[in-house]
Amino acid sequence: MGKKDIKKKLRDFIHGKPHGERRLGELYQPKTGLYKHREWRGIKDTMYYFNRIWLYNYGMMVYDIMRYGGPVLFAKGVWRYRWIGQTYLTVMHWFDRGFEGLRGPALRASAWHYRAMTNETIRQFMRMFAADANLHGGEHNELWHRTPAHDETVAGAIFYPWRDVMDDVPLQMVPYFVTCHVNCHTVLNYIDAAQSIGLPGDPCPMCQAEAGLSILDDMPDYFPFLVTSNEACDGSVGTSILQDWAYDKPLFAMPQPMQFDDPLVQEHCRREIEECWKFIEEQSGIPFNYDCFVKYIERYNELTRFEREKWDVAANTPYYPINGVAQALYRIYYSQDGWRDIWAKTDKKVKKIMYRCVEKKINCFPETRHRVLAWSCAPLYYSNWCTWAYNCWGLNVIMNMDSLMFDIDIRTDSYEHLMEDFALYNEWAPMRRMAVGGHKHIFEIWENMERFHCDMVMMYDQVQCKGMQGIVGMFEDEFRKRDIHAIWMPHALPDSRTVSRMEIRRIINDYMFTVMHEEPLDPSLIDFDDSMSW
Amino acid sequence: MRDLKHLIYFEDLLQEANNSLVKQAKAEGKRAIGYTCYFMPEVLLDLEGCFGVRLRAPRCTSPDIATYYMSSRTCHYGRSLLERALEGGYNFLDAQMATETCTVTCRFQEHLQMMDVIQNPDFFCEFTDVPFKKTENSYLHYRKQLQAHVLDKLSEKFGIDTSDAALLRAIEQHNEVCRLIKEIGAHRKEENPNITGYEFHVIQLVSLVCPKYLILPYLRETAEELRTREPEPKPWFRCKVVLSGSENDDPGFTQLIESCGAMVVADRYCYGSLPGREEIAVAAGQSPLDAIARHYIDTSMCPRYMEQHVMRERKQYLADLAKEYNADGIIVESNKFCEYWSYERTIDTIILNRDFGIPVCSIEKEYINNASGQLRTRFQAFIESIEIKKIQEGK
Amino acid sequence: MKKGKKLLMAAAGGLGALYAALFAVFYFDLDGKLLFYVVEPFLKKHYDKMPRRDITKMRYDMDKYGAYEYKTE
Repeated sequence: MGKKDIKKKLRDFIHGKPHGERRLGELYQPKTGLYKHREWRGIKDTMYYFNRIWLYNYGMMVYDIMRYGGPVLFAKGVWRYRWIGQTYLTVMHWFDRGFEGLRGPALRASAWHYRAMTNETIRQFMRMFAADANLHGGEHNELWHRTPAHDETVAGAIFYPWRDVMDDVPLQMVPYFVTCHVNCHTVLNYIDAAQSIGLPGDPCPMCQAEAGLSILDDMPDYFPFLVTSNEACDGSVGTSILQDWAYDKPLFAMPQPMQFDDPLVQEHCRREIEECWKFIEEQSGIPFNYDCFVKYIERYNELTRFEREKWDVAANTPYYPINGVAQALYRIYYSQDGWRDIWAKTDKKVKKIMYRCVEKKINCFPETRHRVLAWSCAPLYYSNWCTWAYNCWGLNVIMNMDSLMFDIDIRTDSYEHLMEDFALYNEWAPMRRMAVGGHKHIFEIWENMERFHCDMVMMYDQVQCKGMQGIVGMFEDEFRKRDIHAIWMPHALPDSRTVSRMEIRRIINDYMFTVMHEEPLDPSLIDFDDSMSW
Repeated sequence: MRDLKHLIYFEDLLQEANNSLVKQAKAEGKRAIGYTCYFMPEVLLDLEGCFGVRLRAPRCTSPDIATYYMSSRTCHYGRSLLERALEGGYNFLDAQMATETCTVTCRFQEHLQMMDVIQNPDFFCEFTDVPFKKTENSYLHYRKQLQAHVLDKLSEKFGIDTSDAALLRAIEQHNEVCRLIKEIGAHRKEENPNITGYEFHVIQLVSLVCPKYLILPYLRETAEELRTREPEPKPWFRCKVVLSGSENDDPGFTQLIESCGAMVVADRYCYGSLPGREEIAVAAGQSPLDAIARHYIDTSMCPRYMEQHVMRERKQYLADLAKEYNADGIIVESNKFCEYWSYERTIDTIILNRDFGIPVCSIEKEYINNASGQLRTRFQAFIESIEIKKIQEGK
Repeated sequence: MKKGKKLLMAAAGGLGALYAALFAVFYFDLDGKLLFYVVEPFLKKHYDKMPRRDITKMRYDMDKYGAYEYKTE
């Protein structure tokens, strides 16, 4: 080994290998997605990862369990429910998959997003367990009476008027949505359960899985009543039928209007919300608290304002320190969930990192070859594809469609204004805002490409989403007409069996080689087998 | 049984959307208004000066271009409609009154709105937002929507008289069609009916796709004919079934079931008459539009309704239908890729059998099915199982 | 004093060893391997054989929940 080699090795040890020299694919064990060893990112970033991400988050996971109900309750939940047992312990691998190759501020800012989601997830499932009659000998305790449930697609903001006295917990946010990202194995049981009672295989697998949770009796009995929604699609409406049967509890359906551009629908939507509040009042016996509602709306507005700042930095500078998967998951999680302390705390930390990046002009993704806009709904079992795509090809996902939902500053100066804006907020929910809210909105892609200065589209092709499938040809026509590079990424939302992660990578690789005529930044990531990975 | 006098003519009318009666009405200067869903009240489209045509795409088995636009993973019905539109089959339409009541028909109609598909300079496509519940809020909303997106548009674009008096006349005409169809359909309740399910299916369809004022004389004559028509001396069927499910405008499908030995005595599906052919009642002092809005919201049994009691009542309704029409079983069908009916079918299949003791055959079908050997086998097996059950019960 | 210092050294050494061990667990993804090969298969087996309520046997009352009607004053 020559002096030069030693020097280089030393430099790699201290600073980590530069992007073009990394061989991240060689770190994997075949099939499992486990690492032979975790990535060496240089001393500073490796130790940051070890101390402030790995150790810190394992520690915080224990701490959160202790403060939200204790280890006994947690253990009972783990023993009873598959979605928590199989998922909870694998959380750090979810961090790993999302942050491969990240360095410096990007690693830090993205990790804070993940930490916030982990915390909120723990809070939610511990609340479920604390109120769960299944874990308390069939007894409906005090918490059970004060924990209303709702479809994850019903905005948590609907419950703001009661946030100080009740704690709403979405039915599927943790058992379905989070688990798909963290450990995609669990959800398959629920999809199969739905089909085992005769449901065909073609409806949206998200809705199937949500129904499957109830069919497989894997939902805690933590709520006295529930609020459902037609959001995002026909399948969600269908799911309500099976959920109603399985839960057999008072249910309020709060549909969002389909044609939300029409000024005439606003009054209808507003009354639906008010009817829902009336239902909650009647069921819980706790009166609507307007001040409480306003308080949380105003706090949430703060989150929205910072989100816009983030978008502004992402759109107009190369200094945005949050990677594609952290941006997407965090935004959809907190906006759907509504205001919680943890989001504000996280935003404060991220703001500091982002401001520093802008001030010091730190380019967090220096190997960006293409600025990508990800459109339509993403594969939940491979939400970290964008981490791979950046490492392998320099495809930097700047923004995604679901992040752009709920983008409204809700006025609180009068009840009228508040309700006017809140109705719109409710209508601008994920998937509904663009995917199934009319073709006009799905084609907002073009203005967002300009807004975020993107030169490429990752077009998610959810093969079982009727709304998106029903409009693929017009997209093809427009892409051609506008001469836009678009890669169609087929997937089946949570179901990794339909289109594997490997197949998704192959499609992107093919496009990058044959259409873009580019060479990978990290050839070891071109082809590897992670078929059994979480 | 003697053939129905107009059956062949009716069958002929179903061969294409732009049938001879549609052509006649157009020649008389009437505006043709397309729609796909029960939630677009046909009575509003049958005001003087225009007529409603519920869209079908008969004989469309291979919607190739539509598959490019809507992929192969969407309902065959929606794709077939787009294919027919792209072929020029709906160029006679002056407007499409659209509803976003199921995703794929919505997408089909959005294509009409966005692409230059319908070669008619007057053509426009207007969407109406349809509520998901049967509440006061829904009635109010729906009425406003119908006023703004249907009546105002018809008046503004085509000068159609949409006054209360005009609406009442349209209701009157509509109610006559309903009365006749109800009367014709009621023969199916008889022990040995003098009409087949196929014949009724054809009659019901022509009432949806032809201008009402032109089809009415034929319906009147057919109803009259059926008052005296003698049934087969010995029932030609082995059992009676209710056919329930998603969109079905293919009489060949009913024919397929009947060719296996089961008479379809009740048609509870999109494009069927149960519900769909109930008369609209206008109370004293009530505005006709209000009556229409309430009628369509109340009578529909669509699985897109989300209220808890409504979701449950639908099962009871189906069981009641089976009882009223003396059915021995229920065939629940859903079009492949129809999400509403995928779920509804799943639960119907279990509950109707378990809680009401009604045998259920659950099938998934395509838009055009009459040549399906697989379905034939399923139906034959179902009919045999009903017969065995009857033998076991000593009937 | 000497004993205290020794104890302190031992504690520091112990903590140091623990820290190093944890780093080894982290670096070689031993946590992932334990979970993948031991914990998850064990839990899966447990969940697979768990007795579960059969939804198809559950009651489905047609009239349990009457029409909910919002009334404005």
